[in-house]
Amino acid sequence: MIEIVETGPFNTVQDLGRPGYRDIGVSASGAMDPLAVKIGNILVGNAEGAATLEIQTFPFRLIFKRRSAFVVSGTDGNPLLDGIELLPWCAYNAEVGQVLELKQPPKLARAYVAIGGGVDVPCIMGSRSTSLRGNFGGNAGRPLEKGDRIAVGEEAGILPIPASGLGVVEPAVALLEFFPRSADGSLLIRALPAGEHKLFVGDGEAFWSQTWRISSRSDRTGYRLSGDPVVPMEIVEMRSHGVVPGVIQVPPGGEPIVQMSDANTAGGYPKIVGVIECDLWRLGQARIGTRLQFVRSSYAEARAIEQAVASYIEDVRRTSGQIKRALKAMA
Amino acid sequence: MSAIDFSDPATIAFLTDALTAASVAGLEISAPSGQLRIVISGAGEAKIGSNRSVQPGSVSPVLVRAPLAGYFCVAHLSGSAEASSLPRAICATEVLGFIRVGPVLLPVSAGRSGTVTRLLAEVDAMVGYGAPLFEIEVQS
Repeated sequence: MIEIVETGPFNTVQDLGRPGYRDIGVSASGAMDPLAVKIGNILVGNAEGAATLEIQTFPFRLIFKRRSAFVVSGTDGNPLLDGIELLPWCAYNAEVGQVLELKQPPKLARAYVAIGGGVDVPCIMGSRSTSLRGNFGGNAGRPLEKGDRIAVGEEAGILPIPASGLGVVEPAVALLEFFPRSADGSLLIRALPAGEHKLFVGDGEAFWSQTWRISSRSDRTGYRLSGDPVVPMEIVEMRSHGVVPGVIQVPPGGEPIVQMSDANTAGGYPKIVGVIECDLWRLGQARIGTRLQFVRSSYAEARAIEQAVASYIEDVRRTSGQIKRALKAMA
Repeated sequence: MSAIDFSDPATIAFLTDALTAASVAGLEISAPSGQLRIVISGAGEAKIGSNRSVQPGSVSPVLVRAPLAGYFCVAHLSGSAEASSLPRAICATEVLGFIRVGPVLLPVSAGRSGTVTRLLAEVDAMVGYGAPLFEIEVQS
């Protein structure tokens, strides 16, 4: 059991989402940074898709009501346990009554709190994610509030976390060659041309060549991008069609919308590109005001990045288990 | 009565002979001036460790050792912290470095507050279990 002591708005319980129900109008939801959820869960010894807390407004504080292993992942800020600074991306043990505090991270948008045993809210349609649009899932279908007491699953069979903690080289560093940084500090996001790409002048030149900015009209549903409008060569009447996270649509105003975790299930705006799935977590960690540049990718490149990420996750799972077992045997 | 100097070779030899004669396996003495440890092995040979304080009664050096074999890193790999210059005051829970195995990092802390005086292992080099990593001076 944990109790929320302090929280901002729109902090929710999220896991890896609720796919498979878009045909009946149910958004997938799920963490904006699923890689942080997987690594956090693996470090504490959970299944990689266990439910976590997604914290996107700060400060946030919770109190542990029982001894628990926990990780704060995804973030570049240092969490505090009873006022003592800890490392992000590192599993620790918390004693009963200890308070975990997350302050505004320096650069990134979201922090994930994974707890040994997982956040134990009811599983609805295969997921514990909060659907804010549907008011169901997660903690009573709503954001976390001060005073919420939330159950945590049993830690049965979980190997103990070393007393000094157990961390990882975070994905952005470990996989640097697969997630390049631009010289001017803008975020490079790989994408593939989508269904209506041909409607845009010069092979979408205006879209690909400019630096976009994530506008303040952005949330878990989608990011609206600010920049020089891109307009199609002809206005086409389109029937609504299915959309998924990563699809970038261009509404009549010409400023693109990137569909994110709480993406609508259908839409009628022309789709110019789709962000490759392996770059979605980096968009999920980009704050309002972040400058973005889109880089034309290929299926082969997207697949290679996917394989590198999968191999990193598997390496963390295998090695962290080996280290925990070795230290337990030596203890 | 004057204090016995446990670092005096004659005293150590006398104690070793006395322990051997009495079939005692060993002894360990901690005094303000330092520590003395004598272990009598089966073949009648003694292993002697003597550790004399630099400033008797105030400071004693302690080694922080590798809790596991792996690559030794001093700074967090996220680049959020850089290796600080030495000597440097530290608190008990402060992370001094890491043992890295693949992508996994095992933090190393001193477990007590004091001053880090020396870095004893090569950064980014493979170290074995128990290898000395840091020397710290602990205020007693």
